[in-house]
Amino acid sequence: MEFLELLSPAFFLLAAAGSIIGIIFGAIPGMTATMAVAVCLPLTYTLGLQEGLALLLGLYVGGISGGLVPAVLLNIPGTPSSITTTFDGYPMAQRGEAERALKTCIVASLFGGFFSAVILFFFAPVLADFAIKFSYVEKFLMIFFAMSVIASLSKNILMGVFSGLIGVLLSLIGTYDVSNGGNGEYRLMMPFMEDYLAYGFSLLPVLIGLFGISTIIEEAEKGVTETSHENKVNLSKGKPFSFSIFKGQFGNLLRSSSIGTFIGMLPGIGGSAASILAYTQQKNLSKQPEKLGKGEPEGLVASESANNGLTGGALIPLLSLGIPGDSTTAVLIGAFTLQGLQVGPLFIGENIDTWYSMITGLMFANIIMFIVMFYAIRYIAKVVLIPKFVLYPIIVMMCAVGAYAINYGIMFDVWTLLIFGVAGWIFTKIGIEIAPLVIGFILGSAAEVYFVKSLESYGEYSILVTKSPIAMVLWGLIILSIVLSVMIHKKSKKQAQQESAS
Amino acid sequence: MKTLMTTAKVALLAGSVAAAPAIAFAADNPIRGNIRIVIGSKSTGGDTYQASSIIAEALADKIDANIKVDAVGFSAGYQALARVPSGNTLMIFHDQAYLGHLYKQKGYEDPFKQWQIGPSFATNPGNGYLVPKNSPYKNMDEILNAAGNGQTIRVAIQPGGVSEIGYTAMKNAVRLAYPGQEDNLVALNTGSQSDKNQAMFDGLADVINGSVQANEQYTRLPADDQKAMNFVWLTAKSSTLQGANPEGMGQTSRDELLQYASGLGVKVPMDAENDFTFDKEFFFLYNKRMSPEVVAFLDKALADVFADGKVQETLKKSFFIPNFRTSAEAQKHFQAKRDSYAKIIENLHK
Repeated sequence: MEFLELLSPAFFLLAAAGSIIGIIFGAIPGMTATMAVAVCLPLTYTLGLQEGLALLLGLYVGGISGGLVPAVLLNIPGTPSSITTTFDGYPMAQRGEAERALKTCIVASLFGGFFSAVILFFFAPVLADFAIKFSYVEKFLMIFFAMSVIASLSKNILMGVFSGLIGVLLSLIGTYDVSNGGNGEYRLMMPFMEDYLAYGFSLLPVLIGLFGISTIIEEAEKGVTETSHENKVNLSKGKPFSFSIFKGQFGNLLRSSSIGTFIGMLPGIGGSAASILAYTQQKNLSKQPEKLGKGEPEGLVASESANNGLTGGALIPLLSLGIPGDSTTAVLIGAFTLQGLQVGPLFIGENIDTWYSMITGLMFANIIMFIVMFYAIRYIAKVVLIPKFVLYPIIVMMCAVGAYAINYGIMFDVWTLLIFGVAGWIFTKIGIEIAPLVIGFILGSAAEVYFVKSLESYGEYSILVTKSPIAMVLWGLIILSIVLSVMIHKKSKKQAQQESAS
Repeated sequence: MKTLMTTAKVALLAGSVAAAPAIAFAADNPIRGNIRIVIGSKSTGGDTYQASSIIAEALADKIDANIKVDAVGFSAGYQALARVPSGNTLMIFHDQAYLGHLYKQKGYEDPFKQWQIGPSFATNPGNGYLVPKNSPYKNMDEILNAAGNGQTIRVAIQPGGVSEIGYTAMKNAVRLAYPGQEDNLVALNTGSQSDKNQAMFDGLADVINGSVQANEQYTRLPADDQKAMNFVWLTAKSSTLQGANPEGMGQTSRDELLQYASGLGVKVPMDAENDFTFDKEFFFLYNKRMSPEVVAFLDKALADVFADGKVQETLKKSFFIPNFRTSAEAQKHFQAKRDSYAKIIENLHK
């Protein structure tokens, strides 16, 4: 156990510090785990590999987890992968169950994080070999599967699909980037847009605009009235947190963590797909699907265990193939680069001590994340008690700073925030659904790349079905997901009719 | 106690001597405040970030300033550089800066007109091409002859730059030996290194562009592994590669790598007399309006960094070859290099 000698007190201290700083980054709307890792990456140059990795892994775990805080309290996903946390978290916070919602999320996050770390430790090389079976076709189908959730999340299927399509089209604005295998040409652009939108709209400002700024505009429209104080959230009104929430949720935890880990290990799919997919599968398989989206803990369990499951999952291709699984591990790889260390298929075998210390760091960061968040959350939850006329200007400021910083100081990202804030406010008025639109936006560009590449590589549409047994299984899952969504819609429509008749 | 005091005095003296040049440089530094180095790549896992971080660290120590490297990509990098003429924002890029323009890629202007060319500092001799271990083609001769004899050879590259220049050279070599057959080499337009690898795993590419840094471990996998691959060509000059660390990269020594270098184990003719080679070099780009005073200061500071000799060791440890030229020398060198590759690209489009 030579690796134990590498685990100095500084190692644990840095993992803990990373976890705490990561939580803060994740909790501020507009700041992400990726940004936290990018900011601290140069520190690893002087820290040395083990300590540097401890800090970055802490930031990664903390950053992904911290995103749940604004998602629950403010309806703003702190990181793109916590979108689905807003669906049930915010309604619970509105009912005065903020602490209950947050603690549910934290426990689910810990489970997801541990689950994926264990999978990473025992199965990394085997799973990496499985991951490379996913060619363009299978990756496209995986994304298409994630897109099928639009049907399930929509209030009205037709409007939901239409909204999703708008999201996809918005994601395609800009260059078909050569670094994605594209032709470098502009699409859906007019000449005056080229200076600003050469690389399209940035994801995070769009997300915060649609979720956060539009809500704030809506509140501003209502204005501060006498009654708004009376409607203030009462924290002691709702049910308190108890571990019994997880009774009957083990299947959900296991499935969602597995989905998170699995999506994480497929490079190019994007981390946000993990929680989206896990959430919808839970909705499709739930005994009470109509309740999801209205403040059900099982939705939070699915979303948060999946997005923390991502952490170990995304490290699988990084450490077994030298290929980062998501945007954060794409920055994390820099820690190895700075130390002149190659990551590739032989990395684990040749750097066994580093490998063990990474797993230790990952586990420890998860524990610290849990302790810090679980016990600090009752104070953080009080954010919802701050009067909106004080809170919202602060949020707008944080969002603007985050949007400006996301691409290292691009002012157009702040305008994007405002444009999508106003657009989101208008969309809700004319019936366009925000969640499907955002999902279309997140998954659209990757879907395009893999769809076009599938056709370019194999030259026929039928390959999308016949490419491999994996492709056929994915088609089965896509069809099942759509059928289940339609059935749930019909059921809830029938229920609504019965209720109105009685 | 006396010993302790003496040790402390010696340490203090040594410290002040070591710090003296930094203080001297700090006093002369015409750049006020922190320095941001943007790089032409968005990846922190690539050679541009690695080389830039090494030189930034050494430069920061030398001039006693805070320097941060940001992997923003060429487009955002150019925008940031255009905004700040004071020297507080600098850029580091490689030959892609002019190759992107030669290949008419969107967003790439002529760097010699748009920017001032700053000092060069390192070469990465690792750019190369690989085939699967179970490929019917074992070397470049077999690949070029197969294409010349009517076989379609699919080469996975990212178009418009360093990745494409070797492919252009292969086409040119087929054209020289088998005129009219060069179209049998087909470019498979892929993005990142992982996409290129995946194209090989899927059997979509016969040859992929890669690098010693990214692909060396794959070459050590057993032949029955789907991921196993072999180098067939490293585009660097053999003389350049000979300047690399003798230990090479990973478990592959420099001498083993030399068998894939042009002129030694591999022949990719550029014309009747010369073989094609390509050294990927890293250099600074400056805002056109940056003052000569700042240019001279950075030239001097970097010359001093290289005179100290430490940075060479760090660069070599990461399989880079130290390669310092002042701004004026670099301007001349890269202009000539650009012109020579422009001819090859032009020939193919005739």
